[in-house]
Amino acid sequence: MTTITGSKPSIIKSFFPYLIAVLASLVAVGLFIGLMGFDILHAFQTILFTSFKSPNGFTQTLLKFVPLVLQAYAFTIPLAAGKFNIGGEGQLIVGAIGASAVGIIFFDLPMVLLLPLVLLGGIIAGAIWGLVPGWLLYKFNINEILTTVLLNFVAFALINYIATGPWRDPTAGHPTTTPIGAGGFLPMIIINPPLHTGLFIALLVSVGVYLFTTRSTRGYEMVATGANPRAAGVFGIKVKNMFVMSLVIAGAIAGLSGAIEVAGVQHRLIEGLQSNFLILGIIIGLIARGNPLAVPFVAFFIAVLEVGASAMQRTMKIPVEMVFIVEALVLLFVLLSAVVRRK
Amino acid sequence: MAEKPILEMKDIHKTFDRSKALDGVSFNLNAREIHGLLGGNGAGKTTLMNTLFGLYKKDSGEITLHGNPVQISSPRDALDLHIGMVHQHFLQISAFNVLENIVLGTEVEKKYSMDLSAENTLIQALQKRFNIDVDLNAMMDDLPMGSRQKVEILKALYRGVQILILDEPTTNLTPQEVDDLFHTLRVMVEEGLSIVFITHKLREVLSVCDRISVLRNGRNVITLNKNEASEEMFVRGMVGDEMDIQNSVIFTHAKSQIGTTKINPEISLKVENVGVTTKEGIQQLKEVSFEIHQGEILGIAGVAGNGQRELAEAILGIIQLSSGKILLENEDLESAETDKRIQRGIAYIPEDRLHDGFLPKASVAQNLILGYHKNDPYSSRGFINWKTVTQVSEKLINTFNIKTSGPSDTGGNLSGGNIQRVLIARAFSRPAILLIAHNPTRGLDIPSMDFIYSKILEEKNKGMATLLISEDLDELLLLSDRIAVIYKGELVGFLDREKFERYEIGRMMSGYRVEA
Repeated sequence: MTTITGSKPSIIKSFFPYLIAVLASLVAVGLFIGLMGFDILHAFQTILFTSFKSPNGFTQTLLKFVPLVLQAYAFTIPLAAGKFNIGGEGQLIVGAIGASAVGIIFFDLPMVLLLPLVLLGGIIAGAIWGLVPGWLLYKFNINEILTTVLLNFVAFALINYIATGPWRDPTAGHPTTTPIGAGGFLPMIIINPPLHTGLFIALLVSVGVYLFTTRSTRGYEMVATGANPRAAGVFGIKVKNMFVMSLVIAGAIAGLSGAIEVAGVQHRLIEGLQSNFLILGIIIGLIARGNPLAVPFVAFFIAVLEVGASAMQRTMKIPVEMVFIVEALVLLFVLLSAVVRRK
Repeated sequence: MAEKPILEMKDIHKTFDRSKALDGVSFNLNAREIHGLLGGNGAGKTTLMNTLFGLYKKDSGEITLHGNPVQISSPRDALDLHIGMVHQHFLQISAFNVLENIVLGTEVEKKYSMDLSAENTLIQALQKRFNIDVDLNAMMDDLPMGSRQKVEILKALYRGVQILILDEPTTNLTPQEVDDLFHTLRVMVEEGLSIVFITHKLREVLSVCDRISVLRNGRNVITLNKNEASEEMFVRGMVGDEMDIQNSVIFTHAKSQIGTTKINPEISLKVENVGVTTKEGIQQLKEVSFEIHQGEILGIAGVAGNGQRELAEAILGIIQLSSGKILLENEDLESAETDKRIQRGIAYIPEDRLHDGFLPKASVAQNLILGYHKNDPYSSRGFINWKTVTQVSEKLINTFNIKTSGPSDTGGNLSGGNIQRVLIARAFSRPAILLIAHNPTRGLDIPSMDFIYSKILEEKNKGMATLLISEDLDELLLLSDRIAVIYKGELVGFLDREKFERYEIGRMMSGYRVEA
């Protein structure tokens, strides 16, 4: 799955099919947009360049990038061990709940204490949400796809209960809690347009995940387990532990992304803060083929498309679903290019 | 024999992807002869015969039968021309009885009632004519390998085959069953059939074939009548000129030096009354006891599936013991998990290399450190030192002659023989107290086999104990100091090297117990 070294021509060679896939999907999308009677060039310009035309567009993109890259890792880490985590959404929500709980209960703590606690609350809550399917898999061999998906629904119910329960903000029309203590807010890199330091955390996590999977012995064992669990077991790797570990790490990272949404963007728990990050995270993970080095770049590309899409909807009245189609087509073409290459 | 051949294959070419499997091979078969097709792994023997049987499409070349050119594009065409083939892996339905397996795929006289009495009579006549003894009502599942093979031969005869191709027919047969098979082949030839006998075992072709053709790297080397040729000529033909036969384990050491080296009295591995029972209550190992001394090679002979794999996995701690204990250098391994046992010094070459020993999606280097990745030169403080790993990998790739573009090459790009070399390189990459090698040379050509044998002997001289589990009796006879025979999960007897006797071992392989 992850190779150690790559010479230059092989990098270009492996990048080439992606380029073709992106171009092919854009052509297909252009066809749709044209058929719907919109200006194709203008639409493309909006999709691809909104992120780079204004500081606002760029920070918007970076803000989108943070949860996307973390969600993608929550999917690719278990994938490296051969397991499918479809519960990144639930783990994010529970992480957000954990972070808000800490932020509300310890409202008055100073930042040096509260901020780390808020983030830690998210990480631990998410990790627990990953541990449950991991444990069920370890103990009873219950398929993790099933359990992670089902735990998403539990998380939906949980956030609904909390955001309409004791911590409810009575002034808000939407299920929302009261704000967390100001000490739990992530500091800003830029005030206007707003950009919080969650970006640095996401980049730090990216480096960490890369080092973990390609350099550490645990990461090696995880990749070996994913490559051939039977052979890994024969040669002394505790395969089931690897499954649990990968799901717990995934949950922790997804939980962290929930905490960042709370501490950086919303400053409170809001129902629906998970957006559609799960699906996008899976798409990113699949396009990157689980390669931890490729994930941030793909995540950034998808963030550009997302921001471009909402701009396209605002200015041209093209339905935002169009961008979902682009993303789906990129994925399809990338997967197709793998098949073609094998032939 | 100046008669005209009944079958001729001329200048056959066949390319897979980019590798040439057959590069202008010619072959002819006389009436009423057993023609041995000899060659190492990858020589093209099976490919050549698969093109004759219509399983592969040849790129170019000509096939003539009784002087007429023929086109064979499917096994059905081949059978219509009375050409049949018995594959190395039998295609049988285990839930059917013998009779049903034989008639399967042919027109049955009473097809609505499935009353097979007419077919039964026909087949019994064939059995009498060719002197093949199998119970037609037995279930396929209950039959030993030798009988299953007879069923395959009967299948071919029932379809009126005149030319029969046998692909490595002696794999998994006991020496007695091999003799029986050879006898049947003789009868068939007397009854007018012609037979192509594919094998990599020289001893077999010399004992049963009339003519022998040798292939190497997809080319003809020689074709000779048996009585014109010496063993030496065939050996040379099979291995080519690169191999140093004078110093090879297989051809020179034969009986002489191996086994005479003094065995240290120190016990490396002690297995005491080990039993393994699955959750379903199936007993896979029963009361297995033996010990291996330092520098000793203990061979385990037996027909495949009699508990060999379970024995290896029990020693490694991959499966749990139901009873008994295992001691490595007098230390009970009970509490040690597999990774600890590997670190203590057990090296393992698993039988099923793709399933049990290889990571196809990982790199060659990642494969070479599997199981040893937590050890000193490869990693420290939880991090892998890829620089060292790459250096060691490069060295191993060189020493073990692994054909790959380098340590970062994806494992899945390697051929079967090279994957086996990776497994072997890994097993020998660190000093071990005990090596468990299960069919270590299966699928390898002769020079590679020889290389592995010399490696095993080299480590033996340094004091490594070896548990050599093999279905290749020649391999066991060549290397072992002692041989134990396993049958239905039990060790039915031990033989010392002075008392090695093929037929004695064969008897034990079919369950006869030797009173010690």
